Amino acid sequence: MNLHDHPPGALQPAPTRRTVPATDAWRWLRFAVLNTLRNRRRSLVTVSIAALGTAAILLAGGFALFTYQGLAQISARTTGHLIVGKPEAFTRDEDTPLQYGLDDVGALQAKLLADKQVLHVLPRVDFSGLISNGDKSTVMIAAGIDPDAEFAVKGPFLRVLAGDVLVSGKPGTVMLGEGLARSLKAAPGSSLTLLASTTEGALNALDVTVQGVFATGIPDVDKRLVYLDLATAQKLLVTQRVSSLGVFLSSLDATDGARSRIAAALPQLAVQTWLDQAVFYKSVKELYNRIFGALGLVIGIIVVFVVTNAMAMAIIERTREIGTLRALGTSPGQLTRSFALEGLVLGGSGALMGAGIALAVSLALVMFPITMPPPPGRSTGYPLQVAVDGGLYGTTVLAMVLLSMVASAWVARRTVRLAVVEALAHV
Amino acid sequence: MTATTLELVLALRGVHKTYHLGQHVVRALQGVDLQLHPGEMLALTGPSGSGKSTLLNVAGLIDRPDRGEVLFRGRRVDGIGERDATLLRRDAIGFVFQNFNLIPVMTVADNVDYPLFLTGVGAAERRQRVAQVLRAVGLADHAAHRPDALSGGQRQRVAIARALVKRPALVIADEPTASLDSHTADQVLDLMRELGHAQGAAFLVATHDARALRRCDRVIDLCDGRIATAAAEELTA
Repeated sequence: MNLHDHPPGALQPAPTRRTVPATDAWRWLRFAVLNTLRNRRRSLVTVSIAALGTAAILLAGGFALFTYQGLAQISARTTGHLIVGKPEAFTRDEDTPLQYGLDDVGALQAKLLADKQVLHVLPRVDFSGLISNGDKSTVMIAAGIDPDAEFAVKGPFLRVLAGDVLVSGKPGTVMLGEGLARSLKAAPGSSLTLLASTTEGALNALDVTVQGVFATGIPDVDKRLVYLDLATAQKLLVTQRVSSLGVFLSSLDATDGARSRIAAALPQLAVQTWLDQAVFYKSVKELYNRIFGALGLVIGIIVVFVVTNAMAMAIIERTREIGTLRALGTSPGQLTRSFALEGLVLGGSGALMGAGIALAVSLALVMFPITMPPPPGRSTGYPLQVAVDGGLYGTTVLAMVLLSMVASAWVARRTVRLAVVEALAHV
Repeated sequence: MTATTLELVLALRGVHKTYHLGQHVVRALQGVDLQLHPGEMLALTGPSGSGKSTLLNVAGLIDRPDRGEVLFRGRRVDGIGERDATLLRRDAIGFVFQNFNLIPVMTVADNVDYPLFLTGVGAAERRQRVAQVLRAVGLADHAAHRPDALSGGQRQRVAIARALVKRPALVIADEPTASLDSHTADQVLDLMRELGHAQGAAFLVATHDARALRRCDRVIDLCDGRIATAAAEELTA
């Protein structure tokens, strides 16, 4: 052999700084993987905790997302993606019913339907009054709707407990909420009287027949709510106006664009989105964001502590080796990166495993549905489902990886800068 | 020796090093002068606590003297920063430790390859040079083994291969035979000497081993941080 090809110490001079080729990065990564495998039990515990933490965050976040999506859909389905009315209707209390109602509804509907994203426009008359069975009168909150269109567009948004849903062309019929029907001892076929102020301020009464009894799932609402067809409501209030128009779009995502276009096309009117009226949605979202945000923070801190602890033990055990690597010419920066890569391996493995667990649980909940008990103020339960959102998964996995890398680098920062002599003498 | 500092691999002039262990002051080196020529194998001997390891550390740029000058290939290096010292170690200084200090998760080939990897030598050339040096130390067949699968002598040969693969100007060896039996120690010493001479690398070896002393070109006896005697010894084959 000939080891004398070059003068001693005169290797091709290595630049002090150089870009890291892919093969170098791969080599460091391989080194990191091998180091994490030194103490397999410790690494397994670390990866498992990172996996459980990631899965917990993804499942909690997925549940929150599913809840937000469900509530958003319900809100949009209840009011329409957009609600068009007079500006005062959204800002002031009316002195008489439909004081700020819309006239010439047919022309407005035609204008709105001209937008390519608009699928349906549903008129609505909202008012309050009294409902009586002759012996007993109680307060009602009434909604006059176009029954055929309403049920066609919204689908089965009411749970019919008795009788049938309203149909267009059958004036003088109403649907009662479960609690209201019970209070008035009413059933399908019962005759009731509606009393309300007209748009002129006079009192008017109208006899109606109960078509059906429904439940919205919110007992407080079911004690007061009455559905009747639009023509009957307008007859009671002696008007041709409607309170507002619910605009139903092709998708939830089209809301903002359609709002801008419609607001520009109808400058004299106000256009609100479903979100503007979704008080419950906003309350739930705010609450869940805080609860699950805090949960995520706690889990993140736990994962950081676990990774930090595992890396701290590994670094103490390998202090002498760190001294050797430093003596051989490894820079503190290279060693810090190497330990950060170990954090990446531990945190990344845990995060990917956790994502797999969360995905499996989410799919299992679709295949084997679980119904949650009714929340406070509701009478019906809801399916426990977990949304699988790419953004949530990506962000969580990335956060776990970055936290693990930063934690590892932070733990290593002092040892890699220890005097080489001191590190080599470490026992 | 009449060589100028430019021709020397290493020159120490009036090097002092003091440690403070609590209230106790240890004067590890007290005005040490030393010159090391290319290809020379210089042994440091002396009782425990005489300053051998401190001298190796200073010469290997892993510790700094309190006073005095250290010249590496004619360049003053006693005041250089940690970053420059790291680069010099990476490019021009090899280390052989008493306990081998191989990286256990790396294979023999990867251990030997590591210094070349650090210096940025291309993969193809690295493979060739690693194979070459492993053949030279007689471990070509063990390239894929992990250090824990090797005997002590084999591990030290890997450490020698790791020290020499980058063709350093200086190799620092701290008690390289202390963990080996006498037969293996002889083999390792012969190997160091043979490869060191072949490459022109200077060896600075701290040892108590009489066999090692006989194989060195010069022996310096340290006592209480000072050079007690310095004698040229012929290599006994």
